Amino acid sequence: MATDPTGRRYRAWYARLLRLYPRPFRERFGEGMAQTFHDLRREHRDAGRGLYGLALWTFFETSVAIVRENITHMSRLGTTMLRVALGALAVLMVPLVASQFVEDWNWPVGAFVRVYFLFFGTGMVFALVARRMGAWSYKAGVGVALLAGFALGWSTMVQTADSGHPERLWFLSVLVVGFIGTCLARLKARGLALTLFAMAATLALIAVVLPSGAPPYLARNMAIGHGVFVALFTASGLLFRHASLAGLK
Amino acid sequence: MAKKSATQAPLTPAVLHILLSLSTGERHGYGIMKQVQADAQGKVKMGPGTLYGSIGRMIEAGLVRESDKRVDPEMDDERRIYYELTRAGRAALEAELKRYRGVVAVAEGRFAYGH
Repeated sequence: MATDPTGRRYRAWYARLLRLYPRPFRERFGEGMAQTFHDLRREHRDAGRGLYGLALWTFFETSVAIVRENITHMSRLGTTMLRVALGALAVLMVPLVASQFVEDWNWPVGAFVRVYFLFFGTGMVFALVARRMGAWSYKAGVGVALLAGFALGWSTMVQTADSGHPERLWFLSVLVVGFIGTCLARLKARGLALTLFAMAATLALIAVVLPSGAPPYLARNMAIGHGVFVALFTASGLLFRHASLAGLK
Repeated sequence: MAKKSATQAPLTPAVLHILLSLSTGERHGYGIMKQVQADAQGKVKMGPGTLYGSIGRMIEAGLVRESDKRVDPEMDDERRIYYELTRAGRAALEAELKRYRGVVAVAEGRFAYGH
């Protein structure tokens, strides 16, 4: 650590400058850059050279690099958005084409637009959250959780509309648990693992406690469906646990 | 695809110097800087912005990777992230040096005949 007040001040200023980097870059290299600046500063101090010139040069050089990294980051974000938009359009083709062949599937244009934005939003959440972390298990955990959450939300809305049983909306509380848990965990792998386990437990509890009101053959299918969702949430939780044990706290 | 092109395309001077500095072993950021300065006999001065920006792109291209975070006994008790060459990084360095040798051979041939 810097022991002299001037050195500490320069290091604090440099740390403030590093905040202007795009967050993913800053989180990955910010500490190393601050350390390297500190090492350079110490080298100059030990050689009896002035710090002012070093600080001026380093701050200018880093500022240029910050501009470059932000331009690159924005350009990548644009590319990501374009890819997700095209991907969402491709996925939208499934209900769009299916609605032409399935009887009583008469969505208005507005419904397709809303579903498109739902696909796009889910895809962007995955792209932005998953790319923050390098671990494959974290990315896979995010993917499985989003897929299962999306499918659960979708099937709940469809079943509720078809069956006329509004009490089935209780299943959406699983997503509420997920949302609250994700906010509390601040996207940390360990917290997300607990969140996904809590979602699996909540879903299992609702599935057991809430009477389905469906005929036996349908109730069995619904139980299997809930079992699959519980397994997916648990699998996602295990993936986050793996990421947590691998070092992504 | 990115890895393949990284070993084939001409490298930027910063990337070449970083690869060269890591060719003899893993180093942390400041260590890379000092090695680059020594390799270039003081003619190349790389700041933290250029260094870590290049390292970020090199990690994405698969040329280098983070190896460890530990204390450098020759410095202080702060833990530093070390970087090392990957196989693709070594191949890229060798390809670039081969390219340089080719350019030098052509240039020497031309000067020898007075062109």
